[in-house]
Amino acid sequence: MSNRHQGKDALPAGWLGGLMMVPVKAAMQVIDMPLRAWQRLTGLTGMASFFLLPNMAVFGIFVLVPFVINFVYSMTGGSEIFLDQRFYVGAAQYRDLLDCRSYVDPSTCVEDGFWIATRNTALFVVVQVALMILTALITALVLNREIAGRSFWRAVFFFPVLLSPVVVGLIWRWILQRQGLLNLVLYDLFGFEPYSWLTDRNAAFVAAVGVTIWARVGFFALILLAGLQAIPKDLYEAAEMDGTRRTRVFFRITLPLLMPNLIVVLVLGLIRSVQVFDEAYVLTGGGPGTSTMYLTQYIYEKGFASDLRDPGLAAAASILMGAVLVVLTLAQMAASRRKEKQGER
Amino acid sequence: MSRITLEKVCKSFGAYGVLHDIDLDIEDGEFVVFVGPSGCGKSTLLRQIAGLDRPTSGDIRIDGKLVNSVPAADRGLAMVFQSYALYPHMSVRQNLAFGLENARMPRAEIDKRIAEAARMLEIGDYLGRRPGQLSGGQRQRVAIGRAIVRNPTAFLLDEPLSNLDAELRISMRAELSALHDRLKTTMIYVTHDQIEAMTLASRIVVLRKGRVEQVGTPLDLYNRPANRFVAGFIGAPSMNFVKGTVVEVGEVAASVSLMGTTVALPRPAAGAVAGQAVSIGLRPQHISLAGDSEAGVPVEVALVEALGSETVIHSRTATGERLQAVLAGQHALRTGESVRLSFAPDDLHLFDEAGLRLA
Repeated sequence: MSNRHQGKDALPAGWLGGLMMVPVKAAMQVIDMPLRAWQRLTGLTGMASFFLLPNMAVFGIFVLVPFVINFVYSMTGGSEIFLDQRFYVGAAQYRDLLDCRSYVDPSTCVEDGFWIATRNTALFVVVQVALMILTALITALVLNREIAGRSFWRAVFFFPVLLSPVVVGLIWRWILQRQGLLNLVLYDLFGFEPYSWLTDRNAAFVAAVGVTIWARVGFFALILLAGLQAIPKDLYEAAEMDGTRRTRVFFRITLPLLMPNLIVVLVLGLIRSVQVFDEAYVLTGGGPGTSTMYLTQYIYEKGFASDLRDPGLAAAASILMGAVLVVLTLAQMAASRRKEKQGER
Repeated sequence: MSRITLEKVCKSFGAYGVLHDIDLDIEDGEFVVFVGPSGCGKSTLLRQIAGLDRPTSGDIRIDGKLVNSVPAADRGLAMVFQSYALYPHMSVRQNLAFGLENARMPRAEIDKRIAEAARMLEIGDYLGRRPGQLSGGQRQRVAIGRAIVRNPTAFLLDEPLSNLDAELRISMRAELSALHDRLKTTMIYVTHDQIEAMTLASRIVVLRKGRVEQVGTPLDLYNRPANRFVAGFIGAPSMNFVKGTVVEVGEVAASVSLMGTTVALPRPAAGAVAGQAVSIGLRPQHISLAGDSEAGVPVEVALVEALGSETVIHSRTATGERLQAVLAGQHALRTGESVRLSFAPDDLHLFDEAGLRLA
């Protein structure tokens, strides 16, 4: 009996393993009794909560508490940073943000910058997300084919995703600025006069859309590529035996079976697009004028950067933007659930 | 009407040859089964016929017309895949209609064909369901239905029953056989299961390493296997093989020695010469317990499998050869017991050292 007991408690083979087990065993002896007592008291569900606690603590400190503080800020006024120096204004910041005679004309709004940024963001989101999904889909379809150097091309398309958004913005500013690489190449090859790509309203918008697509398309193409590869090859062979035209194969087989991945791409793309900031800010600084100023930039400048700093207004704007993101996320979850149910049916 | 002819068909993937000089003539209305172990090239051969792959060399003809470069859809064939390959996002009805819609067939004709196939395969109750809501057997029927509605000149079936449980496989096998009798359309069926091949086929093509080993009716293959491989592959349990020597070769009879005894064969064993070392095959079903007055090969029982209707014994002879016997009925035999086994000389199959049959 005593021998068996010794065998059970024997240290792992090797002195290092034994040494490592000493603190573990000591810790276990210390926490064993309270853990058992806790489990007796709360049952298994209580134990689960106990193990979730560290994660919830991190989430609470870095997400939940800042969110609550942000909300409190949105109910205060003044340009001071510290909360004890600020004064309570209730919903006045929200009223100011939403006070417009006509929502389609920012100049009629009390806080016109917010509505200019909102209008810019809405236009950016619609154009950028649509073009990005289309580009990601085409990229995934091409990368799914048996082309020469397929692995190389997959790496090439994914590479920009690894870059910091600020680096992306800088690279493209060097390319697109008046004395940039693009003008140099166009002048050398075709003799074109240098053009101010980043100071023309339309060109700057196209640049912001194009650069963010370039930087992110690899990630979304990867999600779609995974979806394409999950479609059994047998289905395409069955379609081939059925004499299905290629366009019909795409619209009747590939696209419906890719829909769950497309929904994920759509929602993630929408969320990231609404949050657009780094690349666009480094690339155009929001200009020319306010033509590429998006919501996050507005919030950043109102909260931290402008001379007329107004952290309360920035906090209120960020809460409104957060509400839009919550709606988008809920829409995605609802769409996914409906899709799952359709799959079961 | 569909006669399918293969002439010197070869298929290679890079330097790796998968099919070698396949010659085959499949008559209209035949039920031909390609059988062989995994990796023998049977599915690859079916894909060449289907048009899903192109042969590296050789010709494939359907009703005399060369179809090597004819797209799969234009060959008039329909295929049932091992995985069923039903479109998961479409209902059963949409699955059945899909190919017909591609051919721009009038809706009334599509509905008529679907109704007919649904009646034949008894899938009418779940035309509105999706494949994910069907059992394996129901999916199998839908896959067959999708082939039937196209009214093909031949059906190609790639291990269609391999995903079903044993019981369902037996019933589906019978249904397939009945379907062939009813439709009288050429069917080419791929399987690695020799029992499936024996029960379904009007002719079996045995393949090994991309070559045809033998083509014949199931009983041809069972009774007169062309070589050791076919002899061992067809029939369950597998044929026993023991070493032997040709003692004498006459014009009407011959004799061989095996397992320490000499047996007179009532046939001449053409191609054999006296003294030649041979491999002698004997099916387990052709072995019985020797009666008291009968001469027999003494063996020691190593394992007894009592299956109720029959008893399978694994045994070892005094010369160290292993013999498996399937004895009809129930026998109270024990491991380690010594018994004598007998067999009819006519049931012995002689193969030379290369494994080829000696008449």
